[in-house]
Amino acid sequence: MSGRSLIPRVAGVLLFLSLAATTLPRLIALVNNARALLPLRYEARRERQMGPWYASVKTLRRELPANEPVALVAAPRDVESAVFANYYLYPIRTRLFRGRNDYRNSANDPKLPKTIVAVSADRIERTTYDALRDRDLRAGHRVVTTPQLREPATAFILPMAASLDGPAPETFVIEATIANPNPAPAELRATFWPKGLVRTMTIAPRTTVAYYDFVHQLFGVTDRGWMRVESSQPLRAAFYFANRGHGDATLLPNVTGAATDIAASPIYRDTKLFVLNPNDTPGTIVVAGNPVPIGPHAFLSWPVTHVPTVSGNVYAYVATRELNGRTDFLWPR
Amino acid sequence: MIGLAVTLVLFPLIGWSIARRSSGEAFLFGVGITGVLLFLAGLVHLPLVAALAFIVALAIIRIATAARTSENRQPATHNRFATAVMVLPLIALTFVAAITPLSDFDGRAFWVLKAKGIAHERAIDGPFFRGETLDPRNHYPILIPLDGAAILGIAHDLDDRQIRWLYLGLLVALALLVRERIGRLVSPRAGAWCAAILVWIPQFIVEGEGGALSAYSDIALAAFAAGAFFELVAAESPFRFGLWLVFLVFTKSEGLPFAMVFLIIGAFVFRKRIAIPAIAMTIAAIALFVWRARIPAGDEEDILRMLPTVFGKLHHLGDALAAFPRHMLLFSRWGIFWIAVIIAAVLALRADRRAARLAISVIAAMLAVYAGVYVATEWVVSDLIAVTADRLLMHVIAPALFLLALGTRTTEPPPSVS
Repeated sequence: MSGRSLIPRVAGVLLFLSLAATTLPRLIALVNNARALLPLRYEARRERQMGPWYASVKTLRRELPANEPVALVAAPRDVESAVFANYYLYPIRTRLFRGRNDYRNSANDPKLPKTIVAVSADRIERTTYDALRDRDLRAGHRVVTTPQLREPATAFILPMAASLDGPAPETFVIEATIANPNPAPAELRATFWPKGLVRTMTIAPRTTVAYYDFVHQLFGVTDRGWMRVESSQPLRAAFYFANRGHGDATLLPNVTGAATDIAASPIYRDTKLFVLNPNDTPGTIVVAGNPVPIGPHAFLSWPVTHVPTVSGNVYAYVATRELNGRTDFLWPR
Repeated sequence: MIGLAVTLVLFPLIGWSIARRSSGEAFLFGVGITGVLLFLAGLVHLPLVAALAFIVALAIIRIATAARTSENRQPATHNRFATAVMVLPLIALTFVAAITPLSDFDGRAFWVLKAKGIAHERAIDGPFFRGETLDPRNHYPILIPLDGAAILGIAHDLDDRQIRWLYLGLLVALALLVRERIGRLVSPRAGAWCAAILVWIPQFIVEGEGGALSAYSDIALAAFAAGAFFELVAAESPFRFGLWLVFLVFTKSEGLPFAMVFLIIGAFVFRKRIAIPAIAMTIAAIALFVWRARIPAGDEEDILRMLPTVFGKLHHLGDALAAFPRHMLLFSRWGIFWIAVIIAAVLALRADRRAARLAISVIAAMLAVYAGVYVATEWVVSDLIAVTADRLLMHVIAPALFLLALGTRTTEPPPSVS
């Protein structure tokens, strides 16, 4: 063998060894992995590869209606998982939403899928918008960290009780802190009007309970109204109307009776007059000189351009949005 | 097993009807022709099932009526050892592909998803492509997904296990094409060893993103580019050269600039005969753009729109130029392959100046185009380079292997079959 032909052979051997040095061990690993998977059925092999995530896909594929589009809602960090969920769910049609806000901003889209699938790197599951919202709120931080508790009281009215979303990121909740300073347990009864939903709970002696979304946590609804709170023991409480999206909050008054005399003040945008009837009987109120019938426990609102005069056996107030998005309340005297 | 049977019969059958030089070339022609004809049928809203049946029937008639003279005389080889070296990893890959489910990113996110969509709707512009469901890269060319859809359709099963064989088949076909073409153009021994080297390159064999066990379209693009390159060197058939270019256009977004590079270089080789591939490629490009105009874009980058912005992004130039040299030296992906290619290129220029210059031109031009895309991209350049550079290097594997073969030619006997 001549020296000239030896050089390319040696070079060829070196080249091959440099390739085999990486390929051979990885190929052996792949073959060994395949041998381990061999006794399993094909779907079980996928489950072995992808873990519980794929098991949740399999379950959901059986549950979802085949002809109805689904919304895949995933946090930005989980979009990759949503893309794979889309792959394994096909031919079920999907639409990807990067986070809950992306979904709620499409609320006016007539093609918005009603079925929601929450996707994470760990699992995918069918859910509801309210559940997603609650999960986000629970995981986040309350706006008010040091609530100013009111004087002890056994019965009062919250003139605004809401759990609602505006356009992202606006998320309106009632952040509640209720303290029972007494040596006896307090039986608390909350009634959400005008729906008339009632919940009772017991607050242990010398205990403080806190809620990040009082209306939804208590009543399981996203709605707005007013609330009557009654307790067997005097409680110290603080209820804030909070906008989690903007990080602002307003301490709500503990109302005890009718009041309609709202002082004239500057108003901004989206201004509304709110009137609630705390009575069990219907009545008539006068708003800016116009008589308006109002049912028992009703909660009415009108858009207004200035603070109107209101009279009647009701509680009335005005809410207005500052240019920075903060909600201001003009309470009656 | 239906997917395996369809892959082993359908594409070689269709390819064999027009290309009989090697089984690798026949498979690749089968894959390319099936995809292109189904695309054109879909474009004019002919039923895809009927179109596929027509293609198969035409292939059978053509094989039955063609002259018996066979083009597939193999170069005389006595390279059993090289053959064994080549076959060994392919057997291992076959075992793995048969058992292990698909787990790569692009394959599931884009390519096989499209195959499922086409197979389910039997259309290339149905609800799937019109935004009724999530298809992140809606404008990607769909030659390989159409082949996948043909398999899924025949198998009556949307499970990706049916089309794993297609991707493995593409690698085997590329290896056989390299073996046969370099065997003829340089020497049988060089052909055998180049094919053996190819199937040991980690990026092709074991790499999760872009390798034979994934469902990316990069091996397909590399195979069609290989076909075009060998046709360029042989300078025999502008018709076949044109077909390879058409396949490139319909396989990946990079295929169109790749085909244009081939066309420009091919003009120096084929002279006036370049009109045939030029017309074919133009028709393919128009068909692709017509299809894209009918469907909404996904989140892919529009390179044509980005090109005018390139002068404002010249600060990317350093990263773009360094990308390929850096990745060529990635030992875990390429060993010392590219170092060997560069040395061989110098030797090859002495052995066969014309052929070596063709190979070097194709590699340099394509890497320059890709570097240009890196400059123009809206993505974070370093991120894009990290996930694409090795796959783009795969596309120029045939001219690289050819340079390796030419570099050793001075010590080889002349080929036994020309």
